[in-house]
Amino acid sequence: MKAFLNLFQIVPSQNPDDNRRRSLLNIFLVGLMAIALILVVLILFSLGLEGVVIDELLFLLVLTAVFFLLAFGIALLNHYRPGSLPAWFFLLLLLTAISFSDTPQEVVDGRSIYLFTLPILIASFVLFPLASFAFAGLSSLAILILTFYGDLGLVNLIGMVGFFAIAFVAWLASNNMETALRDLRALNRELDRRVEDRTRELAEALAREVVEAGKNQAILEGIADGVIVFDANQTMIVANPSVCRLLEMGRADLLGKTIGQFSELPLLSKEDSQKMQGWLARPNETLLSGRLLWGQKTLSVTTAAVTTPVGMPIGTVAVFRDFTKEAEVEQMKNTFVAIVSHELRTPLNAILAYSEMLQGEVYGPINPKQANAATRIYSNAQRLLGMVSDLLDQARLEAGKLKIEVAEFQVLELADAVQGVMEKSARDKGLDLKIVVEPDAPVAVWGDSHRCQQILINLVNNAVKFTEAGEVGVRIRKAGDRHWAIHVSDTGPGIPEKALPYIFETFRQVDGVTTRQHGGVGLGLSIVKRLVELMGGTVSVSSQVKQGTTFVVTLPVKPSGTNNEEIKS
Amino acid sequence: MSSPYALVIEDDPDLSDIFSEALGVAGFEVEVIRDGQVALQRLPSVEAVVIVLDIHLPNVSGDILLEHIQADERFANTRVIVTTADTVIAEMLRDKADIVLVKPISFGQLRDLASRLRPAD
Repeated sequence: MKAFLNLFQIVPSQNPDDNRRRSLLNIFLVGLMAIALILVVLILFSLGLEGVVIDELLFLLVLTAVFFLLAFGIALLNHYRPGSLPAWFFLLLLLTAISFSDTPQEVVDGRSIYLFTLPILIASFVLFPLASFAFAGLSSLAILILTFYGDLGLVNLIGMVGFFAIAFVAWLASNNMETALRDLRALNRELDRRVEDRTRELAEALAREVVEAGKNQAILEGIADGVIVFDANQTMIVANPSVCRLLEMGRADLLGKTIGQFSELPLLSKEDSQKMQGWLARPNETLLSGRLLWGQKTLSVTTAAVTTPVGMPIGTVAVFRDFTKEAEVEQMKNTFVAIVSHELRTPLNAILAYSEMLQGEVYGPINPKQANAATRIYSNAQRLLGMVSDLLDQARLEAGKLKIEVAEFQVLELADAVQGVMEKSARDKGLDLKIVVEPDAPVAVWGDSHRCQQILINLVNNAVKFTEAGEVGVRIRKAGDRHWAIHVSDTGPGIPEKALPYIFETFRQVDGVTTRQHGGVGLGLSIVKRLVELMGGTVSVSSQVKQGTTFVVTLPVKPSGTNNEEIKS
Repeated sequence: MSSPYALVIEDDPDLSDIFSEALGVAGFEVEVIRDGQVALQRLPSVEAVVIVLDIHLPNVSGDILLEHIQADERFANTRVIVTTADTVIAEMLRDKADIVLVKPISFGQLRDLASRLRPAD
């Protein structure tokens, strides 16, 4: 039964219009066959009635059966064969059946004429839109033939015009429908194309992503620096093999830890733990970095916020590097410098004191030439001592061991002290040393008076060293509500513009020659800068070649957050 | 009346020479000790007005000697001048010692200081 019903399903072809028309045709065929079957049943019932002509009924029965079989044959043809041939057969069969469905009179000009609208309408749907006109023509021909053969008089012209009018409406409807279908199909095709494109793009992007992720993963796995990443919930989501090696922990133990849990791991001291937590929990756009002890290791840590392109923070990345060796070398260097500087001071002390004793004629009178020699020994030993002190300070600054002792001191005392120390060397070079404390300068300030003296003496000493004629001026003034400033200016050779950015760097002098001419190891200005910064101030320089140089040190009148206690660098 | 007595405890021969010279000029009779252990043994039998004490000493360090001196009643009126080249140590001893001098110490500086500490005749 199912196989039989399947015969009324078409075998689809490539052409969607063809499929549609054939499916439609099948519906008509089934309808036709159903009508034929009903007729057969009615005829069979009629056979038992009285007054009927059996021969006529039998003829009608045969005719209906033939009609049914023909329809079935067309259905079979339609099932297997694409194209319009079955539709032509069906429509011609239908037309023939209509032509003989009633008396010629009724068909041509009576109750059955409306049946001709069926092939006209159906033709436009199961063949092609214009086919409705063909069947209007064929229907008209059938009427003509019936009129002539039946000798029915006048031809039903109005009926024929009606056929063509119906054909026109059918054509319009069918044509519109086909256009709509075509548009729909075009839209569908476009949609399909887009879906296909998008799918391909997605597949390609996915493939790229996989490749890229693989590359990033390989980089992350391969680099010597330890990398960890925390997400927006402060949970660790990435830990590369290097970080596991550095921290001596398994990846499984690290992943999933929060910033808090990670910072409180027992290998960190309490102080370092707080540092770590601060770096990780509050990263910003600028890199934060520092060092901490992880068990026996010194690690350098750099953290940064991970942000979206629009600046939304979505996590933190931290890079760890083993700094143990460097820290050891640094420590050794600092210890070495400190010891050497310290050990140098003892013999220097002896040289200074003996030359002083000679000058002071402790061992008896000396002649002027001997006195001159003693003075030279003394001043050179002083210079040497200055350099040793600078080296020691530098080592202490680098090791972070230089302490700033904050206390209140008088600005005038500072000025007097500098005058006392520097006056002689300025006078010896024939220079004027003018120290001016402006009336608006604060009377007393908070800071490390010893380090302030060191800064000022360093700057004045530099000015005296490089100036051959003219004057060295020191001006102390108020700088805003909370700061005071020291200007140290000279009439020396000036500093070329291109050298200005480097003069505060360690071991720099404007050119190599000056080192030999003026002494010093090029540490003075770098120490000044570090000391000023330790005291919360700034130092700047302006210079005109052949005119002179001015250094301006600006310091807070009272460093914030301090009150008599010690600031540790 | 004999000169006031001063003790110089300093291991460096040149510096001890300079210090004793300065104290001599200031009018003291000076005894020099160059070893911490020797100084520790000598302390109970000496009476000094001024003691110049170095911190870096062989065998027994200067800060231990300082504790002994401060614990000894006999040195109640003795002025101790601690000398060191280390500014950090100097800061630490600032409260403990009467006077702390950071090396380099000039001849004149020590001479003048000692003169002021010399009891009036």
